[in-house]
Amino acid sequence: MSSIDASAAIADSDATKRRVNIAPRAAVLWALIIVFCVVPFALVLAISFGQKIEGAGWEWGFTFANYTRFFVGADYPETTTFLYLNRLYYSLQYAVIAAILAVITAFPFTYLMTRLSRAAQSRWLVFLLATMSLSEVFIVMGWDILLSNRSGLPMVLRETGMTQLLKDIGWFDQLREWGLANPRDVKFKTSSVATVLTMSYLVWPYAVILLYPALSRLDQSMVEAARTMGAGPWTVIRTVVLPSVRMPLIGTLFLLFVFLLGTYVAITVFADPSKQTLAISVYESVRGSTLNAPFGAAQAIILLITGGICLALGQMLVNRSGAQA
Amino acid sequence: MADLVLNGVRKDYGKVRAVEGVDLTFANGELTALLGPSGCGKTTLLRMIAGLEDPSGGQIRLGNEDLTQTPAHKRKFGMVFQNFALFPHLNVRENVCYSLTIDGVPKAQAYEKAAELLDLVQLGAFADRRIGALSGGQRQRVAIARALAQEPEIFLLDEPMSALDANLREAMQVELRLLQQRLGITTIVVTHDQREAMTMADKIVVMSNGRVEQFGPPQNIYHKPENAFVADFIGRANFFDAVIDGGKITSAGLTLETDPLNFKAGSPVRVAIRPEKTMLDGDLPTGNRVPAEVTFVRDVGPVRDLHLSTPLGPVIVEYAIGEGARTFVVGEKCEVHFPPNALYVYPGTEARKAA
Repeated sequence: MSSIDASAAIADSDATKRRVNIAPRAAVLWALIIVFCVVPFALVLAISFGQKIEGAGWEWGFTFANYTRFFVGADYPETTTFLYLNRLYYSLQYAVIAAILAVITAFPFTYLMTRLSRAAQSRWLVFLLATMSLSEVFIVMGWDILLSNRSGLPMVLRETGMTQLLKDIGWFDQLREWGLANPRDVKFKTSSVATVLTMSYLVWPYAVILLYPALSRLDQSMVEAARTMGAGPWTVIRTVVLPSVRMPLIGTLFLLFVFLLGTYVAITVFADPSKQTLAISVYESVRGSTLNAPFGAAQAIILLITGGICLALGQMLVNRSGAQA
Repeated sequence: MADLVLNGVRKDYGKVRAVEGVDLTFANGELTALLGPSGCGKTTLLRMIAGLEDPSGGQIRLGNEDLTQTPAHKRKFGMVFQNFALFPHLNVRENVCYSLTIDGVPKAQAYEKAAELLDLVQLGAFADRRIGALSGGQRQRVAIARALAQEPEIFLLDEPMSALDANLREAMQVELRLLQQRLGITTIVVTHDQREAMTMADKIVVMSNGRVEQFGPPQNIYHKPENAFVADFIGRANFFDAVIDGGKITSAGLTLETDPLNFKAGSPVRVAIRPEKTMLDGDLPTGNRVPAEVTFVRDVGPVRDLHLSTPLGPVIVEYAIGEGARTFVVGEKCEVHFPPNALYVYPGTEARKAA
């Protein structure tokens, strides 16, 4: 046996030993994943094929009725309704717009923040982390008051004469068209604008905290190099800063999007009932008046899969543009 | 093209003065090295010239044009950064074209210019490479080509060699100097390495504590250091304190002759002499002899350093090793001669403080 063979054999036995050592840890990991992820998901999946018993609970079963109901309505083929697809659409729409809004506004803030002194940066970060401790209910309550028709911003606009001014110059009609005014006053409840604003406010601190590491690591000498080559402030942002943090930026966008798919309180308070989301109807099915757990489970599964598909598509897009660059 | 003129340029960070009233003229087409220990303000001065820092006072002019308030992106002085600061999201060609692309130069024309510059720095075959796939020396060439693409009036380099290993550094110094001479572009290089400065520069600015200590051609800086700091920082020097005594200097009971001096009798002075200008052994000229004892011998190959103990304090003598050169052993008594024209006499520590 040559010395190389011998050392290979030693390496082999080392590897076996290591495998033996790793095995219990891997087992714990798998156990955790199975208990906390696979089992609940399997349960929801199984329930989604069950049946509701009128006036009682539900029973296990194997029917696609819940899924059929989701896509084309319960009375298909007699009548067809896209009510739940519509809700899925609003789930995606709100989440996408709010996530984009949060990232677009958090980016310049975070960039400027990383230019501050170390001490100032940590003060801001602590403050932002502190705001994360506020619950969704609390934040939405604040916005509810801020935008309420009788005591919030619409009242301020009315009392200061801004509403009259808007009427005089004709912009009021435009606001009405956008659903931001009733015949007499500006209104935010209910409106998609208020819904999206509140949602993006909810995730804004997350956006800053997710963007912060990438932006604070950004090599300032690249920015300076660009300046010495004739790039003004906007050109620097466009040609150096944004391309450098492209991946963290897209990652943040996806994370916030997925997070926002499940928004509940903000939607119940601000969204028009006809424009509510799947998260609401899941809750209504499971815990609300209808008590139809199997249908709720089916909606939840579809929401989950849709989110997954969106992430996969996003990933593909990123990979493709990465390959081109 | 015109000379770059600094007039009383100053920079304060809070109460700390990083650069003190600097007056310099960088002549058109010359390569000037800003040389000094770290923290002496040389990089700050370069950054003020580039427009990356605002001077707290003074004026920066290019010919008759006052640039003091002009932002960096309007000055467009090409600059090579210490870490090269190449854009990792662009390939080599796109990096080199950057200044042209953002200026709206048509792609074909910009690429042509990039190819020309990459040929100049001998990287013609690397245009499509990613920055991550380049070695340190190649990155430096890309950084140089990129800074030159906009045809800057002034070319600035901040410690351009510090990221390279020793062998490459010497080769790149020569190459950079040849490139600069071929292009005839006014160039300012920041460095803390005196060999680098001596290799490349037409003029050297020696700085310490935010002040310009001496400005002149390398040979002047080396052979005629204007003050004790320059004598100490550039090359090696032995120092001892002495007092002026009727056109001569005295120290520890010894009287030494020097070149004519401009000091009042009795004033304290600090005297420097370079190790290679001392004389030992053989037929020493009369006068200016100092008794000495060898305390340590350091053989570094082409020369031998002898550490001597003298009444003036410890003295290092550089002794060339040639045919028939004498060997010295520790404890040996001898005499060392200080040629009068090799003694640099500066105001003593006391006098300097008062001034």
